[in-house]
Amino acid sequence: MSEADMAIIKPEMMMKSYIWLETTDGSIQQVEQEIAMYCPMICHEVLQKGLGAGSSKNCAISLPQRVNPAMLSLILDYCRFHQVPGRSNKERKVHDEKFIRMDTKRLCELASAADSLQLKPLVDLSSRALARIIEGKTPEEIREIFHLPDDLTEEEKLEPLKNLMDDPRIRLLNRLYAKKRKELKEREKLKGKEVEERVDERSVDDLLSFINGKDHKVVKTSKSKKKNKKRKEHKNKVSHNLHSKQQGVQIVDETASSLGGVSNLLSMEEDIFSLKTDSEDGYVDDGMDPVLKEMLDREVEDFARRLNSSWVLSSGQERQPVHFSINGNGATRRLTAIDD
Amino acid sequence: MNNLPEDCIAKILSLTSPRDVCRSSAVSRCFRSAADSDHVWNHFLPSEFPEDFRAPEGLPTKKHLFFSLVHNPLLLHDSQLSFSLERSTGNKCYMMAARALNITWGHDQRYWQWISLPDARFKEVAALKMVWWLDITGKINISLLSDDTLYAAYLVFKWNLDPYGFRQPVEASLVLAGTEHDDVQPSMVSLMHNPGSEQGQRAELRSDDWYEVQLGQFFKRRGDMGEIEMSLKETKRPFEKKGLIVHGIEIRPVLP
Repeated sequence: MSEADMAIIKPEMMMKSYIWLETTDGSIQQVEQEIAMYCPMICHEVLQKGLGAGSSKNCAISLPQRVNPAMLSLILDYCRFHQVPGRSNKERKVHDEKFIRMDTKRLCELASAADSLQLKPLVDLSSRALARIIEGKTPEEIREIFHLPDDLTEEEKLEPLKNLMDDPRIRLLNRLYAKKRKELKEREKLKGKEVEERVDERSVDDLLSFINGKDHKVVKTSKSKKKNKKRKEHKNKVSHNLHSKQQGVQIVDETASSLGGVSNLLSMEEDIFSLKTDSEDGYVDDGMDPVLKEMLDREVEDFARRLNSSWVLSSGQERQPVHFSINGNGATRRLTAIDD
Repeated sequence: MNNLPEDCIAKILSLTSPRDVCRSSAVSRCFRSAADSDHVWNHFLPSEFPEDFRAPEGLPTKKHLFFSLVHNPLLLHDSQLSFSLERSTGNKCYMMAARALNITWGHDQRYWQWISLPDARFKEVAALKMVWWLDITGKINISLLSDDTLYAAYLVFKWNLDPYGFRQPVEASLVLAGTEHDDVQPSMVSLMHNPGSEQGQRAELRSDDWYEVQLGQFFKRRGDMGEIEMSLKETKRPFEKKGLIVHGIEIRPVLP
């Protein structure tokens, strides 16, 4: 080349070159080349399409849809800092910690934009920040923070539990189901005598059968009596079996609460585990009214969901009692005994 | 968050913990899809498995593999070493069977018997008839464990009907590879509850109804090599010990 040519080329090399970038909303920005090239996606575009790409307004490089102008300027600020080679690791870290402080919505947009521009360090940075936000939150909280739709059905929320259920978990659920029913029954006891009397009647049966030595029969008779919903008949039978109901009631009550509770639990576990003891029409009736049953079912579902999502099931906790609290209208409260 | 692609969400979730990921699968449809993805659970599974590890068959996803390893320890090394994962971090846990330990006089039927118990993880446990020199030692290669984790070793045991000689504390030690034996200062641990004479670590009841007592702690760094030696000894007092049933030595991460 002649000297004159060299003279012309030199100043051009000293001049900063710019790249033109266009976002999907149509706005075009002019950015120093070295900064823009820090983004792999832009780099590839320039190299692929030849040197002319992005060199003027007319042939600006179109950026992916997920990059809006606000995010672009943020990303370019990031690039502007980091593309300077002389900075120490500590400096970069300090800058990043400050840089990442923004509201959650912008953080999501930033992660999205950085991902589409394939700017890995920024993707890592924003992902870590988002992970810190998610950590320790309940599903409801996460939905609120990120404005996510609650588009899973109740069944689907329980599905993770079903898929991964080992036998111990099924057993625990059933045991707890039984325990809950027992607790509800005890609660009912406090409310009215009717349940008491049903319990009374069973315990008397147990006593009689024990005396007569026919355990197996008792289970069946008590179940067939469960089927029979005529409570008045029960009342009469009880009064026939006991000499003086009023005198004996207190003593029988005490034994009933201990015996009846056990026999309840026993018969309920039999309900759950063995299909043979089901009644002929396949309907498992343990004598509770359907409203209570529905309440229980919801409670258990809720608990099952928490079993999965709040890591209740550690083998150590299988043996400890689980405390539920139920409002009068059946709404459930958080389990307080199991806190991580 | 709605406009983040699933693999971005998966990446973010893989930076949280297994517990958080499980919770996330109940947030929304797109979160669930990301939370159940193999990409996330692969991240929680160990990057290196022990040599003779074979993944159980019939597990459809990495998530299933993870929980299978958490709940169902795998038997390795000729069924003398059990391998499992700690569920909140995915760190590796091991338990060495009594047969894999070096029990002085363990081969002698007069002193130790090898019996099978239904609630034991391994085929045999060591039942102490009577011994004066109690020396139980186990060795494990530190490279089997997870990096950058604080571990503790526990002797897992229980009592037969009439144990004897364990009211006083006994010596426990945990020695890293390359340490001179003379430099080792054992700590005193109590196997039995004895108010007044208890020192240092005490035996605790486990969820599987065995007892455990901590023998020591150590931090595994990336690249650490060599064997760790864990032991329980009582060789100084001149009376016999009876009735100890040794299940093995368990090594698991210390949880905060």
